[in-house]
Order: sequence, then structure tokens, then C-alpha cells
Amino acid sequence: MIFSDKENSASKNFIISAVVWLVIGMSLGLTAAIEFVAPDLSSNIPQLTFSRIRPTHINAVAFGWLSMANVGLVLYIVPTLTKCKLYSERFANFICLVWNFALVAGALCLLNGYSEGREYAELPVPIDILVLVGLISLSYNVYLTVINRKVKKLYVSLWYMLGAFFWMPIVYFIGNRTFVRLDGLNDGIVNWFYGHNILGMWFTTLGVGIAYYMIPKLTGRPLWSHSLSMLGFWTIAFFYAPTGTHHILQSPVPEWLKALAVVFSVALVIPVITVLTNFFMTMKGNWWQLANNLPLRFVLTGALFYFITCIQGPFQATRSVNWYIHFTQWVPGHAHAALLGAFSFFDWGGIYYALPRVTGKQIYSNTLARAHYWFTFLGFWIFYAAFTIAGLVQSAGWHAGVSVSTWVVELVPYWIFRALGGGMMWFGNILFLFNVIQTVRGVKPLDDPSLEPAMAPPASKA
Amino acid sequence: MNKNYILPGFVVLASFGLITFTTVLLPNFIFRPTASEYAVEYTPTEARGRKIYVREGCVYCHSQFSRPQDRDFGPLPLAGDYVYETPNVLGTIRTGPDLTNEGQKHPDQWHISHLKNPRTLTPGSIMPPFGYLKDDEMKELVAYIQTLGKKRMHLYKRIYHPQELEKVLEKRKVNVDGSAAANAGRGIYQQNCATCHGTNGLGNGPNAIAIAKKPANFSRPFYKDYDDVTWFWRVSEGVPGTRMPQWGKLLTEEQRWYLVAFLKTLPRETEVYPKGYESIDPEKWVEVNKTSAAELNSVKPAEIIKTDGPPPGAGGGH
Repeated sequence: MIFSDKENSASKNFIISAVVWLVIGMSLGLTAAIEFVAPDLSSNIPQLTFSRIRPTHINAVAFGWLSMANVGLVLYIVPTLTKCKLYSERFANFICLVWNFALVAGALCLLNGYSEGREYAELPVPIDILVLVGLISLSYNVYLTVINRKVKKLYVSLWYMLGAFFWMPIVYFIGNRTFVRLDGLNDGIVNWFYGHNILGMWFTTLGVGIAYYMIPKLTGRPLWSHSLSMLGFWTIAFFYAPTGTHHILQSPVPEWLKALAVVFSVALVIPVITVLTNFFMTMKGNWWQLANNLPLRFVLTGALFYFITCIQGPFQATRSVNWYIHFTQWVPGHAHAALLGAFSFFDWGGIYYALPRVTGKQIYSNTLARAHYWFTFLGFWIFYAAFTIAGLVQSAGWHAGVSVSTWVVELVPYWIFRALGGGMMWFGNILFLFNVIQTVRGVKPLDDPSLEPAMAPPASKA
Repeated sequence: MNKNYILPGFVVLASFGLITFTTVLLPNFIFRPTASEYAVEYTPTEARGRKIYVREGCVYCHSQFSRPQDRDFGPLPLAGDYVYETPNVLGTIRTGPDLTNEGQKHPDQWHISHLKNPRTLTPGSIMPPFGYLKDDEMKELVAYIQTLGKKRMHLYKRIYHPQELEKVLEKRKVNVDGSAAANAGRGIYQQNCATCHGTNGLGNGPNAIAIAKKPANFSRPFYKDYDDVTWFWRVSEGVPGTRMPQWGKLLTEEQRWYLVAFLKTLPRETEVYPKGYESIDPEKWVEVNKTSAAELNSVKPAEIIKTDGPPPGAGGGH
């Protein structure tokens, strides 16, 4: 099964691994959130300590869930858009195995304290090499598929995906170059070039590419404007990469580098507005479809969160706003709005649509899928509001001159609500895992396929 | 491959190459700070302690750069102070206090007890207990924590002794009464000061609302009494007990003179304050202060009115 040559088997394997990693990553995140409320929960067990769980959580959700879900969907979308089989299914299946192995090893390393200590680049060198090899081989696979394509013109999703598979291996390499030792602040500059571009040149580009495929596909209407979508792609390509320094905007790094980061961060409003205009104009007159199209609902909720996070982002990077909210809980709230709100919702929608098509089986239960939507959606709002308000409260206290350790007590209610919202999302995704497992096992679906047409395979195949 | 895609492919390559060059390679060529007198070269024990600090992920809650406005975290670290800090532990979140100048604030035994059970020494703290560290690891970690900002604390002094200010005035090369200097200063002001003092110097920048001790409103008439050296000294040294940073640590002497030139151009014949100020009860001046900051924030320039003389009941300001 792992080395099978069957069409779409790689996509299926990537999606299933992603969902398992999602639950692992979310469990770690939930544990970390509970430890804010009950700090003695770790009871002197090193592997349970917050500071070791946090990097493991980040790596599990970023490289386990989001990256693998994105890759799984790309491996489904690229062949359908090029009308050409994936260049090597067997190779992609092998990479899925390597990647899973790397992540298990990486998670064990991080929990046991073998960390490189740079945010987002914690994985030790041997695992970095495995991940990089996986990325490059996937790039090779995707690029060759596109070169052998049967369709002459490239749809905008393919632009985004080809871009992501070109940028990401380079960004990952730069971020994890431990053989070049850099002095303190230079190390920080390169670290944040990587830390921000892994979001910009990988998660954003793949996420938006998936949404560009899903919205026209799920509504059955053509994309509103192809030239606008191209504008969005090129502005992301030009504006995203130099923005990393806004993470260390008030540290003593060179002033020109900060100015560059701020200007380009603000310029990112342009791709966001073009992308969202395109999404919502495509939806014009089709909003009724949300009623019985759950994947579409997921993708559009993702677009809503994408709007929120991407309007926050540019303003957060300006000097005045950064002055106030830097170092506070607002920032992880923003990060979760992007990765959990926007891109995870794109991927959930994508998986509900793609899984029946790659396995040829209808999604096991619509009710579970709807429960998954509502638990995640409502949980996310509680979670996000707790983060954001906690951030504002935190900064208010500091700037009124109250010391950090004294003010910490004021934040307890927000931490409780955050764990609560996180718990709701975690529960929703347990349902999701169960649903995916039942679907893949081929248990007889509970609902009639006509109820949710998007979540059943096309009639010819069934 | 279709020839139509050669040009876009080239553009993607070239733009990303250019960006990588400017933001990754270029800083490493032209930004090479040399070790300052405050940079700590770690002894083997301290270096091992630093490794434990990295291993245990302390950076996920404790930042190690105090910002210009964080005056209560001690002296401001500069680029040269970070030379031996690899991998960087700057941090991006401050769930716990900033540790830039933590060294020597507490005895070793305090740190050991605190690491073993944080809540015995700081009630309400949410730091996880690190009692699982072996005794020698604990000692190394504490040895590292004690080095943080140690030199900075010991060598810390004011930037200018009052007598030195005369010398500063003698070697000044900027004509602070010229419009060229004032225009240069305006850029520096907008970049560094406007976030609190506002773009017009009325003390109504967006962050004024957050600060307990409000930033100065430069339109107040008594600023007429400031001479060049007083302005320069105030900008350089900041205001202890408020959020006003010591700009002497961040801007060059020339830049600060430009700033002085700009500050001197701000009008202060009559004080400028927002509409409705007269109707506020003068007895409650603390509340007046709060309201005024909030109002100043939302007020549009057209609504600002000018009057002759001080506003009623505004005697309590600082």
C-alpha cells in the first residue's frame, strides 16, 4: 500500500497522515494551553513541560498537519488541472513515509530536549535533511507533472503551487543552515527571514492556491477574474519575502532593514485584497450554496479568517502598532488566525472534497462533518478572542508600569477561555479523525449521497 | 515547455534572488557589529548553562531584548551586546518577564528555588517547575542567568555628565536654527517619536492612550524656555520613571541635533488642546488627563482650537 503505484494513492496517504498529525498536534497544543491554567500539571516530567511541548506542537501542526494536508491536496489538484497523471506516484508515496518518519523522530527529539533553539527551525540537522530531501523530491515530482501536462494554459492555482514548491526548499535551507554560524543579531535576522517566509512562501501560497481551486469547483461557477488572480500572485511573489524583520522591529538591527520590512508588510494589503475580491466576487449570487455544501462553507470561513488575519498583519507591522502589541498574546492569536483559521479551514474544506475523489468512497457521516465545522468554528472564535483580548490587557498593564510577573494574574480568565475554545476545536477534530478513518475503511455511509453532493464521489466512479 | 512561461519563470527567480540578497546576504555583509564592552564572553560553565536555557525552551516565554520604552527592564542592549549570542534567544513573546538584565538581581539560591518551584517565590507565576534538572545542570543554568546584563548593570551610567554638555555644544556641527536641519529632524521625529508624541507634537500619538504618564505636548508655552542644550539633554537622557527612552543610546549625536532643530520649530505661542477642554471639571485632574489623551487620539486636526493663555484648570499637568 505504501509503495503502490495506484492513481491518487499518494494524495490519500498524505491526507490520512495529515489528519493523524492534526490530532497529535492539537492534543499537544491543548496540553500547553491547560498548563497555562494549571502550571504544576507537568509535575516535573521534562517531556510534559510547557517549554518543550510548545515547539513540538508548532512542528507537528506546521509540518505534520498543514504541510502534509497541503501536499496531499496539491497531489490531487495538480493532476486534475494538468489532465496528466502524477509523474511518479510511487516516489511520492515513499516521500510520505520519509516525512512521517522524520516527524516522529523530530517530535521525540524536541520532547526530549534535542532542539536547535531557533523558533520554527527547532528540528535537529538530520531531520532537517530528511524534510529538505522530501521537499525537493516533491518539487521535482510536481514540476515534472506540470511540464508533461496536457492543458496548455496554467490555472492560477498551479502558479501558486509551482511558486511554493520553488520557494519553500530555498527558504527551508536558509532557515536551517546550521553550518554557517552567525553572530547573535544576524542569526536573528536570518531566523525571522525563514520564520516568516515559511508562512508566506509555503502556507499562504499553497492555501490560497487550494482555495482558488476549491471555490470555482465547489460552486460550479468560473473564477471571477483571471487577471486579478495573476496580480495577486505577482504581488505576493514581490512583497512577501522581505517582511521577516518585523518580528524583531524594536531590536537593534539596522534601521533600513526594519523600514524595508514595514513597507513591504503594509504592501501585502494588495495581494490580500485582490485574492479576497476574487473569492467573494466568484461567490456573488451563489451564497445559497452554503446551505448544503459543507466543503464550500469551510473554504469560505477560511477566507473570512484570511481577511481578518491579513488585515491585522500589515497594521501590526507598523511601528506604532508594533510598539503596543509586540510580545503580547495578541501575536500568537494572529498566528493562529492565519494557520488554524485561514489555512486549516481551506484544508478541511479541501479534504472533505478531495477525500471522496481520491478514495472513491463517500464521506462516512454528514452529521459528524457538520459537528466538526461548528465545534471548530465556535471554538476558534472563543480561542481567538481570548488571545486577542489577553494581548491588549497584557500590554495595557505593562505600559501602566505594572511588572510582568505581577500582571500575569490578570490574565487567568483569558487562559481559561483559551483552553476552553481549544478544547472545543480538539473535540471537533477527534470527530473529524473518526470520520476520515471510517471513510477510508469504507464503512457504509450514513447519509444519502444527494444530501451533500460535494462530499460524495462523482456518480460515474461510485 | 511553452515559451510563454520562460519570462515569468525568470522573473520569479530574479525577484526572489534579489530579495534573498537584500534581506539575508546584505545584512550579513554590511551589518557586522563588533563586540561592545557589555557583551559577555561565556566561560565553559556559563556556555553549558546557555545550552540548557536553549534546550529547555526558556525563549518561548522570556524575551531577551528590552525595547527603548521598557525602561523598567534596565539599560537598553545595543547591537554590539549580542555578538556572542548564537543561537539567538531574542524571543518574540513575554509571558514571563524580560531577562535582558536579569543577572545579579537575585542570589543564586533564589534562582535554584525558583526554578524548582516558581510559585513559592513568585505567587501567581505560571512558570513550569524545572525540578527535573540535575544539580550540576541547575548550577550551570543559574551561572548563565547571572551573566545576563551583568556587565551592563555594572558599567551603566548616564550618557552625559552635566559638565560634558558644554563640550557637546562646542563640537556641534549642525546649525539647529536652519531649515535643512529641521527637515532632517522631522524624518527622525516621525520615525521614532510620533508614535507617542503625535505627528504634530501635541502628545497625542496613537500610543499616548496606553501610557500612564502622558507624553509631553510640545505646544505648551513653557517649552519656550528650553535652550538647545536642554533639548539635547532631554532627548538624550529620556525621562526616568516614564516611557521616554534614552535616545542617546539609539541615535547619533548628529541625529539628535537634527531632532532638536525640528523640535524648536514647533509652535508654542499658545497652547493647543482639544475642543471641549473648558467644560471638564478642573478638580478631577487625573481624569482630565485620561480623557484628554483619549480625546486627543480621536480628534481631527480641524477640531483643535487655539486660545490665548492657559486653559482653565490645566495647572496640574506635567
